[in-house]
Amino acid sequence: MTDSFRCSDIKGILATFIFAVLPLSLKGQNNVWNLPGYRETVRVGSVGLGTVNSRDTYLSQSTYSGFLVAGETDTWTGYKPYRLFSYGRTHSALQIGLLNNSLGGGETMSASGSFHWSGMWHAVETGSYDLLLGPAAMTELAVLYNVQNSNNPVDVTGYIGAGICVDNTVRFSVFHRPIAVQATFHMPLAGVGFAPDYDMPYWYIYQYGEYGKVLHFINPFNNPAFTQQVDLIVPVRSNRLRIGYTFDYQGNRLGGHKRHLGMGYFTLGYVMRFETKDWGRVR
Amino acid sequence: MRRVKSYMTVVLMMTAVLLPVSCARTEKAADREFSNTPQGNFLALWTIMDEHYCFFDLKRERLGVDWNEVRARYAPSITDKISAQALFEVLCNMIGELRDGHVNLTSSYDYGRNWSWKTDYPANYSKDIQDSYLGIDYKIGGNGYYYRILDDNIGYFVVESFDDMMSSSRINAMLNHMALCNGIIIDIRNNGGGLVLASQMLASHFTEKTVTTGYSRYKTGPGHNDFSKPYANEISPADKDLRWIKPVVVLVNRGCFSSANDFACSMKALDGVVLLGDTTGGGGGLPMSSELPNGWVVRFSSAPSFDAEMHHIEFGIAPDIRVDMKDEDIAAGRDTYIEEARRYINDKIVNP
Repeated sequence: MTDSFRCSDIKGILATFIFAVLPLSLKGQNNVWNLPGYRETVRVGSVGLGTVNSRDTYLSQSTYSGFLVAGETDTWTGYKPYRLFSYGRTHSALQIGLLNNSLGGGETMSASGSFHWSGMWHAVETGSYDLLLGPAAMTELAVLYNVQNSNNPVDVTGYIGAGICVDNTVRFSVFHRPIAVQATFHMPLAGVGFAPDYDMPYWYIYQYGEYGKVLHFINPFNNPAFTQQVDLIVPVRSNRLRIGYTFDYQGNRLGGHKRHLGMGYFTLGYVMRFETKDWGRVR
Repeated sequence: MRRVKSYMTVVLMMTAVLLPVSCARTEKAADREFSNTPQGNFLALWTIMDEHYCFFDLKRERLGVDWNEVRARYAPSITDKISAQALFEVLCNMIGELRDGHVNLTSSYDYGRNWSWKTDYPANYSKDIQDSYLGIDYKIGGNGYYYRILDDNIGYFVVESFDDMMSSSRINAMLNHMALCNGIIIDIRNNGGGLVLASQMLASHFTEKTVTTGYSRYKTGPGHNDFSKPYANEISPADKDLRWIKPVVVLVNRGCFSSANDFACSMKALDGVVLLGDTTGGGGGLPMSSELPNGWVVRFSSAPSFDAEMHHIEFGIAPDIRVDMKDEDIAAGRDTYIEEARRYINDKIVNP
């Protein structure tokens, strides 16, 4: 068990406890968080700060942990009535971390980026609760740079996959103040992953054109990955702020090596609502 | 009652959302990790080498190294109370059995190595004598690249290291400077290596056609014989740059290692090039690194290289002309290698 997992557990228990004891009540729909209507787009831009934990046996047998900074955007678009899906949701994130081994040495830098798109329908819709479900297409890329490895300092892994997205929203009020809690979960189920073939030097890929040796079919067993967001949306005067916690886990057992990059970070974001002029364009 | 249901809904939702975080621990526990104890570090080092080192069969055949026997022999030395320094020494001795210059253990206070590939043989090199040939008005083509024209119109080019690249424009400038020379002596003695790309780029200026100079493979799994197919290493002529077609003599000794060994292998396969001196020091495995639980870094040969006949070059490249430095030459401030190379080139001019 690593520090970041322990940390996220404690935060989860704490969050559950706080929500359990607060004098909250589920009421009818409040206007703190509404899904976008037709030709509407809701976008949240966030910045985050948190912890990162990694192990990549292509680079090292040790587990590394450290701190990261992150930027995220989440966009919901109302598709009715012309599209297959009711809503489109995109999530993109960029995280940059600085890690050390357990002895405080072996500096490693991590950079990861992800882009998820999901088309969603309403599975449950009440005045105070929305459950959206749908398929998702996603891609993630992780780069680790181990400063002390002179000959194999970098490992790059990633995937393009299809999976699921679940989006829960509960609206309630605390001390008559409308608040929404949103929890979103993305997970790839199948796709194509990129990782070097065991101890293959990276320059073999382009020098000898061995692209086939670095592509692998992925599933949840050889490429366990998910992104989980829990966000609190609160009104501040006429604005909407989003305070959240994101846990992003990218793991794989491709090419004979075991890797994981676990990132947990708190975010602070700002909710914007646009009218859509044409598909993909907002004004 | 309605309020209780509301609480329950929120609690259940949060629990469901946080469940996957807990599941991640199961994935982590499945990974093999070594403890940061003397035994754990010993086992980690032995296992990393066992799964990733590429020359076990060759070392068994040539040196009689049995990696399982090595473990059995060194394991009793590892006790709970062994000091870090003593542990480092034992671990260095263990990997030193492989007698591989690319196998090293690095801690904050020492760099474990076995340099018997060089120290067990005659040096065949004197820096002072080499400097006397370069004089003081030699030209510098980059970090570690020096050249001048000797009195008998032969170019003398010293490549101290391949740690830095000599750019094409600088190689062109050097070849242009030596354009009227009868031949070039390339002195790579005691060159401990560096960038393979630097050695291949330099070699590409000494051929008029694409030549397969060797092969390489990489490890595809933890078994001692899990290797990819051989990949051909080709040197293609530097098409847009100057190329040298007159005689070339490459001076080699036991101090030529890694990329310098690779350079010797490449040059030996080219027309009009001869290797003169002693067998090179070897280092025919492209290295990789990993790390022990206590933070010590281990480097090891991972991808074996071969010459054009698919022979390992881990133990060095034999010269075309075998020469040893003579004591009387050293006493007189003469470099036997350089003098033999000059004689060879001058003979080539008379008897092409």
